[in-house]
Amino acid sequence: MEKPKILIVDDDPDLRRGLNLRLRANHFDTAYATDGFSAIAMAQKERPDLIILDIGLPAGDGFIVLDRLQQSAQLASIPVIVLTARDPQYNRERTLKAGACAFLQKPADNNELMDVIRTTLNPVWPGSRVVGPAQPTN
Amino acid sequence: MNKVANTHVLLIEDNPGDADLVRLRLVEAHSDVAVSCVTRLSTGLASMIVAPPAMVLLDLNLPDSRGADTYRSVLEQAPGVPIVVLSGQDDEELAASAVHQGVQDYLVKGSFDSRQLARAMRYAIERQALLTSLDISRRQQLQFKNEFLSHVSHELRTPLTCIHQFVSLMLDGLAGKLIPEQREHLETVFRSVNQLRAMITDLLEATRAESGKISIEPHCIVIGDVIRQAVAMLQGSALAKGIGLEAGLDIRIPFIYADPNRVLQVLTNLLDNAIKFTPADGSVMVKACLTEADPDVVQISVADTGRGISPEAKTLIFERLYQDPNAIDDSRKGLGLGLYISKELVRLQGGQMWVESQLSYGSTFIFTLPLFSLAKFLSPIITHRGRLRDALSLITVELTPLLTPFAGNWDDIREYCLQILEPCILGDKDAVLPALGHSGLSESLVIVASTDEHGATVVEKRIREQLERSERLRTNFAFKLSSRGLNLPAAAHQEPVEKLVQQVADSITEITMRTLRRGQPSAN
Repeated sequence: MEKPKILIVDDDPDLRRGLNLRLRANHFDTAYATDGFSAIAMAQKERPDLIILDIGLPAGDGFIVLDRLQQSAQLASIPVIVLTARDPQYNRERTLKAGACAFLQKPADNNELMDVIRTTLNPVWPGSRVVGPAQPTN
Repeated sequence: MNKVANTHVLLIEDNPGDADLVRLRLVEAHSDVAVSCVTRLSTGLASMIVAPPAMVLLDLNLPDSRGADTYRSVLEQAPGVPIVVLSGQDDEELAASAVHQGVQDYLVKGSFDSRQLARAMRYAIERQALLTSLDISRRQQLQFKNEFLSHVSHELRTPLTCIHQFVSLMLDGLAGKLIPEQREHLETVFRSVNQLRAMITDLLEATRAESGKISIEPHCIVIGDVIRQAVAMLQGSALAKGIGLEAGLDIRIPFIYADPNRVLQVLTNLLDNAIKFTPADGSVMVKACLTEADPDVVQISVADTGRGISPEAKTLIFERLYQDPNAIDDSRKGLGLGLYISKELVRLQGGQMWVESQLSYGSTFIFTLPLFSLAKFLSPIITHRGRLRDALSLITVELTPLLTPFAGNWDDIREYCLQILEPCILGDKDAVLPALGHSGLSESLVIVASTDEHGATVVEKRIREQLERSERLRTNFAFKLSSRGLNLPAAAHQEPVEKLVQQVADSITEITMRTLRRGQPSAN
């Protein structure tokens, strides 16, 4: 069976490299984009099974990317997991409303990230939303 | 010099002689204030909504209100409008105490001249303006602090994410095999990273608590589920330290009304502390129970067998940045914000938190959360200006999966339906009842709408159209919608509105219970 392909969209090269290693170790194929503009171009070219999207990006932030994806007939069905350092209180609902299927804050627990990826790729019912569990403060 | 220029003053005074005297004094002061005079408090409060005055001259004893209640009502209605109380000789003491509670000044009737009146009014307005601007600048400062910390914590998280990712890659052996010593060092780094992450979150939460920006999303929840989840999360660290961690639950506890994520946050914080301050072979016990003292709440306690808290520390422990000065042996200190945040979270959900402890015998942290009350939940929807609404209806939406057994997540479906329903209902007039658990065979959403039977059929039609527009729902579920008007209790005179709300809530409970029982899918 072919490996699922994940498009990583993040402007930080180290974070991209780290996430890339992590995903490949978990048997995913990866592609990456470094800004909002190339995110759409890469999505068109690579047709990934899933996109992991940062919010703070040059050339069109994550919300713009979500909007473009939703408006494109070919790309609207690709599920998006938002992975950002931004405050969930102000961004979780907003990203989910904009079409993301999950929101995780950086640094995300790796097991949690893998769980969310797996559930997103194999939803229990069509279009189901996977909202990452809250990270309680200790 | 003592002129009060261009101002609209509201005089609330029922004695025509006293009112005329005030007017006369104002004319003597050559002030160009426009005085409007009313004789009842209710008329005064109503007119303040229409045209907020620059200040209020207030007699405390009116036909519809007496004493301290009078100025409290005005302060509550318009906190930014300065009040000068006009008191008689006999209630001067009361007037003086009013000044401590937010009233700007008082004058004793018959013993002030025009200059004194004008001066009192002018100072009242100026002082109030000063207070208002202080309040605004305090808010701006908090806002700034909030934005600053939000920005800083975002910036701190990026490098932290990097450390987190690469250390975990090494720990998982993805950069080659580790020798035991390397693994041990990296585990230390990883623990510290997680500690730092928690601190950044706390920093932001504490600022939010201070500025009242913590978001709470209450639902009907089973407290036992949250406790079990918290215990499962902390069981590992309890075991690692050789501490017994157990939960004792009273199964009779009904639904509570709270934000499950926030309750989990409070519980994990308390459990984490308890484990941290309890020596090996000790134990930590979480309990939830109902109490006779307050039948409207559930009481949750976390008891440990640690070294306890001194009476002096007990008064300080919920303060921001408090840290146990004797904590030397245990793992590193946090920021000292956990208990402050926890107490705020409990308070925001309508509960209280306190600690009971005896030095060297352990501590028990206790907090309460409100039990779910349909009457309290519905009250803002089904009442308007202190009266029950004229008409109320129930609309029921039932979704039955076309394929059984259904493998989906019911919470997920409910959440999705709520989004679809959102444009069909009015936030201040209609409400979707919280999920009270279901048969597992179908999902029912019950909407209480402030409209008559005819209006309800219109809403029902709109909801059906919205649901059918969703392909996800159309291809997976059969819908059954129904609506009915509610028989409202006759609005008898003097019947307190709370009692009427309770009657409506009881009848809704009865109807929905009947519908749920009847609504087993096989009966369709």
